[in-house]
Amino acid sequence: MLKIRNFSKSYKGDKKAVDQLNLEIANGDIFGFIGHNGAGKTTTIRAIAGVMDFEEGDIFINGVSIKKDPVACKKITAYIPDNPDLYEHLTGISYLNFIGDIYEVNKFDRETLIEKYSDAFELTSNLGDSIASYSHGMKQKLAIIAALIHRPKLLILDEPFVGLDPKAAHTLKSIMSDLCKSGSAIFFSTHVLEVAEKLCNRIAIIKNGKLIAYGPTKEVTGDHSLEDVFLDLIDKK
Amino acid sequence: MKKVLRLISVQLGAILGDMLSIGNNRKRKPKAIYFGVLLFVLGMGSIAFFYCFMLGKGLQMYNSIDILPAMMMAVISMIVLLTTVFKVKGTIFGFKDYDMVMSLPVKTGSIVASRLILLYSINFLFVLMIMIPMMIAYGVLANPGYLFYLYGLLTIWFIPLVPIILASVLGTGITYIASKFRHSNLANIIVSVILILAIIVLPLFVKDTGEEIVNFSRALTEQVNSIYPLADMYTKAVVHNNSMALVSFLGISVVCFLLYSLLIGKVFKKMNTVIMTGRYRTNYKMGELKQTTPFQALYKKELARYFSSTIYVLNTGVGIIMLIAGAVALLFVDLEQMLGVPQALDMIRKVSPIFISFCLATSSTTMASISLEGKNLWVIKSLPVSTKVIFLSKMAVNFTITAPSVIAAVLISIVLELSMIQTLLLLGITIGFSFFVAVFGMLVNLKLPNFNWTTETVVVKQSASSVVTIFSGIGIAALQYLMLLILPSFELAYLIYGILLILTDIALYKILITWGNKRFVAL
Repeated sequence: MLKIRNFSKSYKGDKKAVDQLNLEIANGDIFGFIGHNGAGKTTTIRAIAGVMDFEEGDIFINGVSIKKDPVACKKITAYIPDNPDLYEHLTGISYLNFIGDIYEVNKFDRETLIEKYSDAFELTSNLGDSIASYSHGMKQKLAIIAALIHRPKLLILDEPFVGLDPKAAHTLKSIMSDLCKSGSAIFFSTHVLEVAEKLCNRIAIIKNGKLIAYGPTKEVTGDHSLEDVFLDLIDKK
Repeated sequence: MKKVLRLISVQLGAILGDMLSIGNNRKRKPKAIYFGVLLFVLGMGSIAFFYCFMLGKGLQMYNSIDILPAMMMAVISMIVLLTTVFKVKGTIFGFKDYDMVMSLPVKTGSIVASRLILLYSINFLFVLMIMIPMMIAYGVLANPGYLFYLYGLLTIWFIPLVPIILASVLGTGITYIASKFRHSNLANIIVSVILILAIIVLPLFVKDTGEEIVNFSRALTEQVNSIYPLADMYTKAVVHNNSMALVSFLGISVVCFLLYSLLIGKVFKKMNTVIMTGRYRTNYKMGELKQTTPFQALYKKELARYFSSTIYVLNTGVGIIMLIAGAVALLFVDLEQMLGVPQALDMIRKVSPIFISFCLATSSTTMASISLEGKNLWVIKSLPVSTKVIFLSKMAVNFTITAPSVIAAVLISIVLELSMIQTLLLLGITIGFSFFVAVFGMLVNLKLPNFNWTTETVVVKQSASSVVTIFSGIGIAALQYLMLLILPSFELAYLIYGILLILTDIALYKILITWGNKRFVAL
């Protein structure tokens, strides 16, 4: 579903934020992307989502290059950034309907899925309010619902659990599992190592723009906890 | 006091940073930007000087030069009043960093003082740009004594105080009432448009000519003096060097401002709490949803964004409002009699395409539409739509706003009894110029975007993109006048201009879908 080939990115001639990254994610994978602050996680995620331009390497979604046909890649992808700044002049429901129109979701699916996920995240009663009146967590929930209503084949999330209440975080985890069972792939970054360890079947650890560990979660952690492995790798390498 | 000064420096720094920065980097301020700002200040100052000098010359012919300082003081007071009404929300109340600032270990009074001084500083720059050229023009024409300059320079600091208070009271009232409504921005826009229309249309019905205009100016000045006694004190102080009037002018301004500061200090926290929390809450129930195409969805989103910002609508809509008001007024006014000039209709026929182009030059919504995406830029960049569709949806909003100019052109051609060829030329230039402002504004905004703004006012009114787009548009419109002077017939001048305009439109559109596309992807 997702192939990253020799991807590098540097900002204004400074040192590389990401250096020669190679990754592969198959259908049904929940892939955790872990690293310290400034390691290159958000840069990679923004490049996969087609939000950020890059020169070195290529990224393929379902076999299509994001550089050559970004619209085809974005049609099957959903992206949620770490800070969900949404259109504050719209109401929650008008934002969801806007996303439904852009992804050409049919009327039945649109209404059914909006109701299903809004109820799951307990946001339905607030959908008529202006997004400007939403709290950070409510905006995060709205961004997640918007990402789910077009049934993406690849879901890309940057720190999705930040700002969510415990119940919403639990709901998101079960939706992520269901989505992968239905054949979609999920690529997400997180600092909550317990979540990554429990939820992800594969993980990658990035340090200073370079991949330092990559593979099935059990292979990467071995007999240790992910936290121990992460701290060990970050301190030593 | 140290804390107040620190707050002011940080807030002023943020506004100047917003005005001068390009792209995502606040630190990146090319030298050309500083040069552009200098050019803008000098340009505005020169225009103000030219205006004051010509007005003064006219007044001098009727021995009324003494009313020039009071007239310009009244004009700048009116400008401060009108522009500050819409700045109150965002500067004193409901500003973005309210929570952060209020959590600092600083007295509320100090925060209020910093916000008021901020509002004063922004207005003071505009007062300087009008009043200094006025003093020079008056100095050249009336040759006053040194006290004129001394009192003039002293009073400049105090001119914005009372207009700011009046505007703040009005703005606070509007903000408070609007916060109670679901569509507060729309209510705000409607009231403002009515105000602008009244200012534009009413003078058209005053049938005075020549000397009567001067008498009218004097009568108007006297009326302003009676409504706004500070204008009278100002004249007595600056023109007649009356020191009692000077002390009264300064004293009243300062006392009013201090009293107002104390009052605002008392209601500051309460008003901000009402504005921040008084939003409409509904208990939404899922119902039927309407489906549209991706382009229509983007267009609707863009149009909703446009009407969500009062300052955006007023700044880019005023040209079209003026045009429509002017065209409708033409239906009811006998121009030759009003202007007192024979063949006035012929002159107006010749300049009507220039007038329409000038109005359109101020109506580019695209000059700010990329910048206004701000922190939401990730949304459109992650959507599965081509950059071309995004551009077209933004341009379609601009066409929606400028579409009434075609109706105005038809009205003008009927009232001025234009021939078929003249009507076609007028319509061609109107449509061609509408397209020009939409494409050109978009290109300039792509070249000079600003995503770090803290207030929309900066993006819409004071950003590099808006200044370059508006002044270039005015320049391109003014070319028509040059062609009228060079070419033998005005039909030929407009025909050549129209052809050049269409060719420019095609070239700019091609640049937009090639260079513009690459530029957008790189943002």
